[in-house]
Amino acid sequence: MAEGAGTPEPIARLIEAFHRLPGIGPKSAQRLAYHILRVPPQEAEALASAIRDVKERIRFCSICLNITDTDPCAYCTDSRRDPSAICVVEQALDITAVERAGGFRGRYHVLHGVLNPIDGVGPEDLHIKELVTRLADGEVKEVIMATNSSLEGEATAMYIHRLVGPLGVKVTRLARGLPSGADLEYTDDLTLSRAFEGRQEI
Amino acid sequence: MAERPRTYTAEGVILRRRNIGEADSIFTVYSDREGKFDAVARGVRKTRSKMRGHLEPLTRSRFLIAKGRSLDVFAQAETVHHYRAVREDLDRAATAVYCAELVDRFTAERAPQEGLYSLLLGILDALEDGCGITVARYFEVQLLALSGYDLALDACALCTTPLAAEDTLLSPSAGGLVCRLCRPQAEGGRILGVRAVKVLRYARRATLDAFAALNLDPDLDAELRTALALVIRHTLERDLAATRFLEDVRRLPGPHPAPSPDGRVE
Ligand SMILES: [Zn+2]
Ligand SMILES: [Zn+2]
Repeated sequence: MAEGAGTPEPIARLIEAFHRLPGIGPKSAQRLAYHILRVPPQEAEALASAIRDVKERIRFCSICLNITDTDPCAYCTDSRRDPSAICVVEQALDITAVERAGGFRGRYHVLHGVLNPIDGVGPEDLHIKELVTRLADGEVKEVIMATNSSLEGEATAMYIHRLVGPLGVKVTRLARGLPSGADLEYTDDLTLSRAFEGRQEI
Repeated sequence: MAERPRTYTAEGVILRRRNIGEADSIFTVYSDREGKFDAVARGVRKTRSKMRGHLEPLTRSRFLIAKGRSLDVFAQAETVHHYRAVREDLDRAATAVYCAELVDRFTAERAPQEGLYSLLLGILDALEDGCGITVARYFEVQLLALSGYDLALDACALCTTPLAAEDTLLSPSAGGLVCRLCRPQAEGGRILGVRAVKVLRYARRATLDAFAALNLDPDLDAELRTALALVIRHTLERDLAATRFLEDVRRLPGPHPAPSPDGRVE
């Protein structure tokens, strides 16, 4: 990027660091860096230590692979949650979405990715083995696949279904339908036909 | 110089997707008129995107595309066929993804190959209609032929002596079957049983429908799959990611596609 030779090295480094963040273009990176330069020292220090803490204190839950600062995580230790149902998600952020929607009171399992046959992301690159281990004692009765309805998300759901089905666990898939606010005119046939199958009496 | 039009239309199959930034994706398409090309869809990963769903891998769609300075941009996309039965069956989805990766690897950008688009649609339609995944063998043989790597199947690839109906070496470096006398000169490869040799020849000259009706038994399919994989690896000088995925899927407990009671070829 076009940082002039006159830019002091620490600022250039900060701009470069911001620029590497998702969704931050060179102009925004520059604006953020000069903003940091102007804020009081304690505010900048708070940001720096928040970044450091996230890397030092946050780790994966040893049971469900959620990101957490306590191990096991809050979902795995909460005795009010139903241990017989596991909702499988692609990434930890998806748990937040399911929790925000409410209605699910079971446990989770985070795969940290999705099968991507073209890009060579295989089962051994995801946390599938850990899921299978959790099903060994027979306490889990239902695995709910909450992967995306993309080709990769579907493939992941089918793969896990085939893998754990023989263990006698019921594997279910979230219903796929129209996103709220969707415009029928622009909805693809696949989404529309699935939404028709999932229709309900009103 | 006359100004070139800034948009064009194409119909094609989405081979792959790469996400960039927060909400954009680059799609690789194999199309009827343009051959293989990349274009970016802005904001396609947002729930409200009008193009989302029309731009899924293994979807056949029609596009309106705007020419860009470095990368073309999808202006509109509309599904022609979403191959639902393929994407909702793991064996067939993995096979279709494998065929898509083959097309991607065997083609150069903006260089349409005669017959390849209809071969790709043919295989997707066949899988959608419930054909066994062994139709992938037909796809491999035909793709090699269309891409200028036509296998020598009737006469020896090295000395052109007509071949007898017997176990024969398929040699990747020789580019086809090799007679008994030439065998020492051919490096690598695999000896194919006489049934496998016949299936290869059939794959080269039959229609897709006729080949699909064979419904190869698993052993015969495995014999051909392994031999053709050697040819493809030799040709591309690389392994395919989808091959590994197909192996992962084959290792899963059932339900595998039912073997036919009789996979003989005459
Ligand atoms: Zn946990
Ligand atoms: Zn010879």
